[in-house]
Amino acid sequence: MLFFSYFKELVGKEVTVELKNDLAIRGILHSVDQYLNIKLENTRVVDQDKYPHMEIRLFPWKVQKPELSVRNCFIRGSVVRYVQLPPDGVDIDILHDATRREARGG
Amino acid sequence: MALGLRNVGEDERNGDGNPILDADDGEELMHVQPGVSVALGNRAADSSSGTLFISTKRVVWLSDVDRSKGYGVDFVSVSLHAVSRDPEAYSSPCIYCQIDRGDNADEESDGSDSECDGDLDLSKVSEMRLIPSDPNQLDNLFNIFCECAALNPEPGEEAEEENGWIFGDEQMNEATEGEDASEWCFSEDLANPIGHANGGHDLAHSVLELQINDQRFEDAEEMGHEGHDAHQ
Repeated sequence: MLFFSYFKELVGKEVTVELKNDLAIRGILHSVDQYLNIKLENTRVVDQDKYPHMEIRLFPWKVQKPELSVRNCFIRGSVVRYVQLPPDGVDIDILHDATRREARGG
Repeated sequence: MALGLRNVGEDERNGDGNPILDADDGEELMHVQPGVSVALGNRAADSSSGTLFISTKRVVWLSDVDRSKGYGVDFVSVSLHAVSRDPEAYSSPCIYCQIDRGDNADEESDGSDSECDGDLDLSKVSEMRLIPSDPNQLDNLFNIFCECAALNPEPGEEAEEENGWIFGDEQMNEATEGEDASEWCFSEDLANPIGHANGGHDLAHSVLELQINDQRFEDAEEMGHEGHDAHQ
């Protein structure tokens, strides 16, 4: 549950979610649940060049146009490989401490 | 619980034309959205309009015209879903779904375009767009999708919680490689519980406590250590 609590702290911040299929999506973290399902707002695909198999028109969030309606995205927790956090969203000492406490309490 | 998209044929519809739900599995219908067309892969949207059924387990689209035509995908296979309103992304506002094809994922379907003239192999479809005739329904549909997706965690997800122990063990190994002093504490602590324990269960319990104790000591050491390093 540690990472659930931890991610909850990041709500409202911009994160990049890298999926197991190599797709990376950046957006504002809207919410996260206990299964680490992630909801993003204002999403866009990061670094299109890295994903040549992704066609432009396939991806709704490819072209970012803030004047258009907010694009919401729900990502299944089980397909997430990494979540890249904003540097200012990580207090390493607190995270260290929390992981230790979690390990002890487990 | 098959992965990926599959056909929902006539025999899977009930008398009302709704998909037959797996009541034994606790499947319940959550939402019915008439006037929805579907586009699979990067094919054009199916010309026939249909009805979207969202249950607690899956998403089913059934053609209004052709009773033998329908597609279904379990929520466990929906990797992500999103609202697409950008005309540059797709001509019509839609719900975009990425589908986990499981074992078929290896066969990259770069050629899904070329499948346009033939029959589409549903097991290779990795994307589905659901286009409601009323775009105002998108947010509502998205929210229902979210709600139902959250009802379908990975099978065996509960096991995740037990990983805490693996984590703890890792930390302990790390810890025992550490300071001599704490190793000494470890050995001394070890002597007592074993001396007192008769049954294997008690022993395990004591060792468990021991690990916890050891970690606590080690933490204090480490913290001081890190702080020290930082000052140098």
